[in-house]
Amino acid sequence: MTSVSRWVLVFYCIYLLLPLYWLMTMALRSNSDITGKFEVIPSNPTLVNFAEIFSNPIWYQAFGNSLSYVILNTLISICVALPAAYVFSRYRFLGDRQLFFWLLTNRMAPPAVFLLPFFQLYSSIGLFDTPLAVALAHCLFTVPLSVWILEGFMSGVPSEVDEMAKIDGHSFPYFFFRVFIPINRGAIGVTLFFCFMFSWVELLLARTLTGSTTKPIVVVMTRTVSASGLDWGVLAAAGALTVVPGIIVVWFVRKHLVKGFALGRV
Amino acid sequence: MATIMLDELGFAYPGVLEPTLLPLSLEIKDGEAFALLGASGAGKTTLLNLLSGLLVPTTGRILFDGVDVSTQSGSQRNLAQVFQFPVLYESLCVADNLAFPLRARKATNGFSASDIQARVAKIAGELSIENLLKLKPKTLSLFEKQLVAIGRALMRPNVSVVLLDEPLTAVEPRTKWQLRQSLKRLQEELGVTMIYVTHDQTEALTFADRVAVMADGRILQTASPQQVYEHPAHEFVGFFIGSPGMNFVAIKSAGSEQMYAANGVDQSAQRIGFRPEWARLENVSAACTSPAVRWQGKVLHCQILGTQAGAPVGITTLASEAGELKVRGAINAIVGDEIEVVVDRFISFIDEEYCATHHAQSSTDYLANTADE
Amino acid sequence: MATNKPYDNRAWLGVLPVLLIVAFSAVIPLMTVVNYSVQDILDFNSRFYVGLDWYRETLQDPRFIDAFGRQVLFSFSVLAIEIPLGILVARGLPKSGVWTSILLILLAVPLLIPWNVVGTIWQIYARSDIGLLGVGLNELGLAFNYTSNPTHAWLTLIAMDVWHWTSLVALLSFAGLTSVPPAYYQAAELDGASKWQVFRYVEMPRLGGVLVIAVLLRLMDSFMIYTEPFVLTGGGPGNATTFLSQYLATMAVGQFDLGPAAAFSVIYFLFILLFCWIFYNSVMSDDNEAQHHD
Repeated sequence: MTSVSRWVLVFYCIYLLLPLYWLMTMALRSNSDITGKFEVIPSNPTLVNFAEIFSNPIWYQAFGNSLSYVILNTLISICVALPAAYVFSRYRFLGDRQLFFWLLTNRMAPPAVFLLPFFQLYSSIGLFDTPLAVALAHCLFTVPLSVWILEGFMSGVPSEVDEMAKIDGHSFPYFFFRVFIPINRGAIGVTLFFCFMFSWVELLLARTLTGSTTKPIVVVMTRTVSASGLDWGVLAAAGALTVVPGIIVVWFVRKHLVKGFALGRV
Repeated sequence: MATIMLDELGFAYPGVLEPTLLPLSLEIKDGEAFALLGASGAGKTTLLNLLSGLLVPTTGRILFDGVDVSTQSGSQRNLAQVFQFPVLYESLCVADNLAFPLRARKATNGFSASDIQARVAKIAGELSIENLLKLKPKTLSLFEKQLVAIGRALMRPNVSVVLLDEPLTAVEPRTKWQLRQSLKRLQEELGVTMIYVTHDQTEALTFADRVAVMADGRILQTASPQQVYEHPAHEFVGFFIGSPGMNFVAIKSAGSEQMYAANGVDQSAQRIGFRPEWARLENVSAACTSPAVRWQGKVLHCQILGTQAGAPVGITTLASEAGELKVRGAINAIVGDEIEVVVDRFISFIDEEYCATHHAQSSTDYLANTADE
Repeated sequence: MATNKPYDNRAWLGVLPVLLIVAFSAVIPLMTVVNYSVQDILDFNSRFYVGLDWYRETLQDPRFIDAFGRQVLFSFSVLAIEIPLGILVARGLPKSGVWTSILLILLAVPLLIPWNVVGTIWQIYARSDIGLLGVGLNELGLAFNYTSNPTHAWLTLIAMDVWHWTSLVALLSFAGLTSVPPAYYQAAELDGASKWQVFRYVEMPRLGGVLVIAVLLRLMDSFMIYTEPFVLTGGGPGNATTFLSQYLATMAVGQFDLGPAAAFSVIYFLFILLFCWIFYNSVMSDDNEAQHHD
């Protein structure tokens, strides 16, 4: 059985890597080369596709737009989720369980359900076509998730830590920001990972709530396919570039990742 | 059940110069209750892992009934193990947990379902856990869980050896002695070879027929509990066993050569050791002619452990010319008193190794002897 | 949650920001949806109450029923592959060392790729003219073309979802497996347990909790799938890969059928809640029965 699992792992990794490899080879070939002949190993690797992306403002602005709402969303989520997770992990209060589960049901809502009301809501208050609109819309999913993950980690921190700080005469803000948050660095890292994971990869809401000025990268990619037709090389290069932020994030949280998953809180 | 022979068995982790276990030879008899006693880092866990097949020896052999099992896996060796904390199959009820080792080997041991049932009933009866048979492990107390784990280790009638790795660690102190009792009784009734690994001398000395005391990857002494206590083969054994352990006095530093010579101590001996109860306290007498080994000292503190015939008994600690000494017995001094320690019996050591046991001669013998000369 | 926590209603102050932000982004939109779902909206100035008509209509709409059927089939297919495969992959992972880190990072990569890029990657991978997979299969003599053959489209979608999400199950399972103390494996080995028995009696009980989470997450996320098929197949060929979210998006944003779309949304949301509730309860009642033995 163990050897079976090992083989499964090996084949799965190959299965995982092949499409990524293909993406890379496509990104390194010009469009005429791609449509001209089929090659498993590119014979004329070129960086023209990447050059196109870095020289064309539509592409790099789209990258910027995406990152701006992702970062905004992550910041909002962490900031509101930290105090909530803290009180959930430390106190009982009227309706605490009901509130906790209600928060989680939001994670189950299909984004498609919210398309129309979001569109109308943000249009009416003038947020349409701003990064803030997308960031707030994504909060619907990332905030409950953040509260859930952080609460799991914080419950594991003994409440003696709180009492020690109180006995040492520290004020609550001092304790919370200088003691408690540093203790939960790992938790915050994992939370960042999941906020990022949701906000960076989501397309439907991001597409609906942005117009011409804040088009995110995910949208620019889909529009390129339909409009300018089929520049496969540029598309592949852009796709390859969108993988990079994810790898950077996972690199930073790699040590905490398994523990985050171990809590069963994702 | 099997006789276990360790033949020049040694182990070193790859890339580590210092071996974890120095080559050692040992025979554990069929049906013997054997204990491996030592502080953490002494190498007892390494030895246990070698026996259970988790590690492969780098030198030497392990023989079960004359068969070399050194490279066999744990399941091939047909042994059982009880761990520090109860290890049970969480999804199975107690009865199925007990039956597991027999069912898993059904193909090779030829046990029928009714045989297995009978064995479960027998072992459950021995451990008095019949009432738990239908329960899932998570509803049991730690004590009950460990009982079941012990039961599972004893299920196979032909098991070659049962290894017990600090089995009482997780059990609360209140129930420790109870579990130890059950273990001892079962070992005797079933006649299973058991190797009990522990750092707790009380557990080792009360459980085992023979104890091996380990330190720094070596076995310092293998002997009966009484032997280990009365005649430690090594200074460490004397120090490690007993609470408090032996007192040691360097011959050069305290007392005249004449005093030691008079008690028959070999000239090459470097130190003598004596148990706290082998000495007593006497008031300082100005004109002391007694030949016994004795030093003057000042009482540092007294620990009262109980009373005997109305008088307090316990351990008196003194600062003496021979260093800090502990004496067990009647407490007849208070802190600060100048008092004399008289040793009735002691052991001399050469290079930390046992040399001889000496009994102090009575003064009359001594006087008689000198008169003859 | 620990049970000996102090009771203090001032704790509400701590959850207030979360409450406000979720109310803003969930309660108001949901109320809007419910409100629309009972009205016929010709334009925003002329609307009238129609009761549950839109609900009745949606539930009788053959296109909704078809999409729903496809959705259920898709969700159960990917669950049936991803859960066992994820467990096997997790078991294959070394428990510690350099390779563990490398493989964990590799496994996490698909989870962090934008969903439409996942679609794009599989598009260029599976196309029968330029894709490694598509060309490769055709070289093997299979007339593979996912853009024209519904079966091929389905298989490609499932392969893509497996590629995209098995990692999540694997990472969760791996976390569960690392919580098995080594002594359990040693005990099973000494008991003479077969590899299957080790899996069944040592590992599975420890995986229970994380697998519940994995199934719940995969169930709801696969039920909401939109972006990847949108990019890869566009719901086609025909309507062969049109799932609920796509149908809804077409209705709401494409055709501006506000009332029916809203009713659809409410039904859709309730279905997901129902599925999760049924699954969660069936798992938890099993657990309760186990505890009831004493």
